[in-house]
Amino acid sequence: MPEPRSGRRRPLSRRAVLAAAAVGLSTALTASLSACSSSGDVSSGGVTLTFSWWGNDDRAARTRKAVELFEKEHPGVEVRTSNADFGSYMQKLATQAAGGGIPDVAQLDYRQISQYAGGGTLLPLGDSVENGTIRTSEMDEEFVRTGTFEGKQYALPMGRGITGYAYDSTVYQKAGIPTPQPGWTWEEWAQANRRIAALGLKSPDGRDMVGANDNGVNEDIFEDWLRSRGGKLYKSQTELGFTEDDLTEFWTFCDKLREEGVVAEAKDTSQASTTELSPMGRGLAAADFTWDAPFPGYPALLGDQVHFAPVPTADGRQGAYFKPSMLLGVGSNSEHPEEAAELVDFLLNDERAGDILGFTRSTPPNRTIAARVAKTLEGAEKEIYEYAQKMESYGLDAPPPAPPRGDVAIQTAFKRAYHRVMYELTSPREAAREFIDEAERELRS
Amino acid sequence: MSTVSTRAPARADRPAQSRPPAKRRRPRRREQQWPAYVFLTPWMLGAAVLTLVPMAVSLYLSFTDYNLFDPPQWVGLRNYQEMLTEDPRFWRSVGTTLLYVVVAVPLKLLLALGAAMLLKNLGRGRAFYRSAFYAPSLLGASMTIALVWRALFNDGGSVVDILGSVGIDTGGWVGNPDLAIYVIVLLTVWQFGAPMVIFLAGLQQISPELYEAAALDGAGRWRQFVSVTVPMLSPVVFFNLVLEMIQSFQVFTPAFAVSGGEGGPADSTMFYTLYLYERGFTASHMGYAAAMAWLLLIAIGIITLILFRTSRSWVFYADEEGR
Repeated sequence: MPEPRSGRRRPLSRRAVLAAAAVGLSTALTASLSACSSSGDVSSGGVTLTFSWWGNDDRAARTRKAVELFEKEHPGVEVRTSNADFGSYMQKLATQAAGGGIPDVAQLDYRQISQYAGGGTLLPLGDSVENGTIRTSEMDEEFVRTGTFEGKQYALPMGRGITGYAYDSTVYQKAGIPTPQPGWTWEEWAQANRRIAALGLKSPDGRDMVGANDNGVNEDIFEDWLRSRGGKLYKSQTELGFTEDDLTEFWTFCDKLREEGVVAEAKDTSQASTTELSPMGRGLAAADFTWDAPFPGYPALLGDQVHFAPVPTADGRQGAYFKPSMLLGVGSNSEHPEEAAELVDFLLNDERAGDILGFTRSTPPNRTIAARVAKTLEGAEKEIYEYAQKMESYGLDAPPPAPPRGDVAIQTAFKRAYHRVMYELTSPREAAREFIDEAERELRS
Repeated sequence: MSTVSTRAPARADRPAQSRPPAKRRRPRRREQQWPAYVFLTPWMLGAAVLTLVPMAVSLYLSFTDYNLFDPPQWVGLRNYQEMLTEDPRFWRSVGTTLLYVVVAVPLKLLLALGAAMLLKNLGRGRAFYRSAFYAPSLLGASMTIALVWRALFNDGGSVVDILGSVGIDTGGWVGNPDLAIYVIVLLTVWQFGAPMVIFLAGLQQISPELYEAAALDGAGRWRQFVSVTVPMLSPVVFFNLVLEMIQSFQVFTPAFAVSGGEGGPADSTMFYTLYLYERGFTASHMGYAAAMAWLLLIAIGIITLILFRTSRSWVFYADEEGR
């Protein structure tokens, strides 16, 4: 840009400059003020609710459809929806909470309940449940309790998930292993892995196929293992429920199987971020521990011979439990808590909403809706529904209360600590000690 | 929100009103500075609101325990103390970052200098090759390239296969804690284009007479390089070194992409910044993360200072000759 020759031009008058500045500033101000007020604005005469969730496109499309139905039934109520993938949703919600306002209705992860309820971000829903705005009569009482914090109801489960074991039944038959039953033991599981490895089946990259993935990285499976022995992950909101010895035993067990070469190698376990990249997905292993919701991905990838079995036990006592895969909560700063509670109830208990939503958030907690939707299921989705029924009749211990605040960090720390064992950078006991140190620091803060 | 934006302009305006009377001999100039400040206001507002205020807040947060939900609680130096004395992963991340800086920066600069030397004497194709070598610097920061890189060095990736076919069986680098960091080092080194262009400019500044004089004195190519090129180029080397060092300490994107955000396997690519991010955004310890950020700033400051101090003994500025 050419530099203006200052001598020639008349300097701008002070008044003009001030006027320009005033205009500039006031626009900036209005912009920021209007940005502040827009969150609470009310559409003509009616009520505007905000509702956000995470999940894939299918879930988004179905949820929007259900929300439209809600709007039709509640004239004057407008629902603004937004959704994102899990990672960015978590960060966005945390930032919103810090900034003083999550949406009126928000989908929450089990691990967030303590943090959000304890921080005053969520509205207690006890009254709405008692006066029947949110109906829970069709839900399992213990399961509803997963949405409580310090005895108060802060959120309601929206889907019910359970851990399990995806396995290739053809390989199991070849190795002469009987179909895994709800009471099968970790010892039987270890033997099964040895038999499969002994078959010498070739995986696509030429290595011998092993029995399963290395579950030492998986805190969920460790929890099942602990519960099966009568233990638990957390004693309270500030204390771990297991000792260094417990964890050392678990990790030593996993470590030995890997050293024997009957479960997946370290480099394959460390890259198992999705179904496709898991040792089983890559054809390197015959089985994989997984949740029920992602299970249908395995038969879709590998074929119908893949079935869903229970997690092994110590001596017949099942450690798996029904966990809320996600919950619904109402923001404590909501201007329309009534309508927000109605929306929560609609999504959980309305039959038509149930039909629309299907199993997109795994098994609906409302029994009638679950049974109704289940009739329309087929293939892998039907299998997980039947699996849940089977486990329910086998008898499971009650789910623990919502995990403490530090749980998110503790879960990643668990995986990382076992990685160091897996790559032989440290011993199981040392890793257990370091992990417990870290977890305790996390729970203290 | 609104309080910040009303207060900030007042602060930004202040320098205009309290100008020191140094320029009194030309009063008209003073008058004309008004518009300048008005037009600078948006920038100054931006600097204040988007940089200075967050920095101040971050400094404050580094002395607090803040989980995004509860109000920050003052804990004094505890974050710093915990970091330095109780957190083994902090020190591992420091070690990983130092290893990365010490390997990647010299490699990248050597490659950049080598390429610049080759290009300097190239006649016709220079513009083409210069752009070709520079392209990775433009592309390299992107997430996509990092993911491609990950695929190349993974089990079954082209690089691993090619190495295997010539008898070097390394296995996938991404899943190997001893090699994973070098996937990221190579990705960085590959982006040598930016320092190369600066070296090239520096090389062209060196007067050909110096080479002629050296040649007359019987200096061979190597001797010319050591006695003419290196000292004449030392300010540029120094500039590139400082710049690359600062950038390398802050490496984040490639490590995040190659390790899927986890710094794995077994923390082998858990760089300082990645650990900082994890502490802040996964574990919600914003105070701790802020403290880590300030410690990094201080560390980079000290290392830069040391580089500047040592530079006196090896950086040669032509205009200092007569002093």
